[in-house]
Amino acid sequence: MSIFLQAVYEGIINGSALALVAMGIALVWGVMGILSFSQGEFLMVAMFAAFYLNVYLGLDPIAALPFCMAIMFCIGYVIYKLIIARALKGPILGQRLITFALSMVLVNMALLFFGGEFRIVQDVAIQGSIDLGMIIVAKNKLVPFVISMCVAAFMFWFLNKTRAGKAIRATSMNKTAAGLVGIDSEKAYAMAFGLSAAIAGAAGCALTYYYYIYPSVGSNFQLFGFIAVVMGGFGSIPGALLGGLIMGLADSLTGVYFSPSFKYVGICVAFLLIVQFKPKGLFGGK
Amino acid sequence: MKKTIADNKKWLLGFFICLIVAIIFPQVVRIQFVWNLLSLIMVWAVVGMGWNVIGGYCGQVSNGHSLFYGIGAYTVAVTCKYWQISPWISIWIGALISACLAFVMGKPLLRLKGHVFAISTMALAECGRIIFINWAWIGGATGIYIFTKGVNEWAYMQFKNPLNYYYVFLIFVVAILLIIKALDKSKFFYYLRTIKGNEMAAESVGIDVAKYKIRAYMMSAAIVSIGGSLYAQFLLYIDPSTLMTLNISMMIVLTAVMGGVGTVEGPILGAIVLTTISEYSRVYLGQYGGLDLILYGALVILIVLFIPGGILSIFSKWFEKRKEVAKSKG
Repeated sequence: MSIFLQAVYEGIINGSALALVAMGIALVWGVMGILSFSQGEFLMVAMFAAFYLNVYLGLDPIAALPFCMAIMFCIGYVIYKLIIARALKGPILGQRLITFALSMVLVNMALLFFGGEFRIVQDVAIQGSIDLGMIIVAKNKLVPFVISMCVAAFMFWFLNKTRAGKAIRATSMNKTAAGLVGIDSEKAYAMAFGLSAAIAGAAGCALTYYYYIYPSVGSNFQLFGFIAVVMGGFGSIPGALLGGLIMGLADSLTGVYFSPSFKYVGICVAFLLIVQFKPKGLFGGK
Repeated sequence: MKKTIADNKKWLLGFFICLIVAIIFPQVVRIQFVWNLLSLIMVWAVVGMGWNVIGGYCGQVSNGHSLFYGIGAYTVAVTCKYWQISPWISIWIGALISACLAFVMGKPLLRLKGHVFAISTMALAECGRIIFINWAWIGGATGIYIFTKGVNEWAYMQFKNPLNYYYVFLIFVVAILLIIKALDKSKFFYYLRTIKGNEMAAESVGIDVAKYKIRAYMMSAAIVSIGGSLYAQFLLYIDPSTLMTLNISMMIVLTAVMGGVGTVEGPILGAIVLTTISEYSRVYLGQYGGLDLILYGALVILIVLFIPGGILSIFSKWFEKRKEVAKSKG
């Protein structure tokens, strides 16, 4: 029982980071229909940003969170304006390949500038663990979870209540109609792309609390982010959040009860089966 | 037969000129590096043409073809290591295995559409990679050496001279190119193009969409598997992390897209451009960890952004212009 609870706990913690990545993917997918391969790399860039903010300015990752999100938003916005806006006029396949090439550029830039070593943020503010009898809760792992949930809540508030968020949602529903009522769809797209990078940035920043930082770290989250999005129903942001948490749980539970080396096979097979019977995702309805 | 030759006179002329250039070129440029580069180009041309059948003609964009690439490579490696079977035979065994797997997995996968199909193929390829990494009998994560001492070079396709690889691979490329050219105007490929254009419409005019999609998937898997086998023979050492990653899947797609999706010659052009860029940048910039791949990625972004129809579209536009000029004069 205690092993089970421990696995569930670890799964939810890992799943919360995955959920944020998935939310970013779902946002880009839902709004502009691109399958973004660069989402995991945005997470990686934010991890390095958090690491260097910690090393040079002594900022704890929690304090660095707003900076990381702002930096990632700007990077996302610029990338949209420079590359994605142009790619949107081309074929869908080209868009996907461009985000893939972008991820390649980002990974190798990190490799060139920062080197390939594994790093970790030393002396985070919240450390230690709480023994709850059945399970041991590591405090530093709790931080990413809390941050992820806060960011997710912020996202829902932003998309549902603010003017800019409503503009993004309107554009994703019907671009022409949104344009007719006076929404600048170009601006909404750029905002959405920047926002998706910022969410990934928040996930990356929070993850530095216990995760290793290295250039190819993003690829760990990429495929599972996609799978989480499909499980949650395409482009649905609450669905992506749930999908991410489920993926995290499946990851740790199959690792404990099935086999650590074949666990990803288990997850991929489960995914292929689910997609067969519920092609619109677990929460997609008919 | 006569009619088809007459219809494709121009194409055949171009084909023979290119073939002669391809045969003579390495005799003129006698540099080991260039020979290796040419052999790699041939491998990528095979793989790109294979992907093009399902992704280009049929419009089902698979992002998991590294699975078939890996199966092809591992089949020749394993059969050579354990039973000393010549790759000349095991290449076809690998293609058969890949086609069978495509047949089995095609049914559930090809029902999916768009991004979901792409993600599912990625998941399938990831399964394959993890199984291959953990399968000790076929070398696991450390991989397999194929090189065997004291065997006949030609019987086991293990040449000391890279030029021999190039000529052998060239035969495969020419054969596959001719097959695809022959099919290009066939019913089968027209069906595939219809499915790409509009699946509902294809169904309503009586095309068995599921059947032809699976056939295209099988054909594509078999050709990519042949490419994988050739690559394994060229390297003589294979492991899952060089053959079966997402990067390889995406590079297979890139090869076809760069040249021109759904065209006969496109993937070969794409292979020439991409492999040349990646090999030269690796040699000249590889020592600055990662700089070569930054350049490669940046060039890919630029090419895809500014030539969305692929490199072949530049030529075809040029030809059309010339035709128009000729018409207006005549």
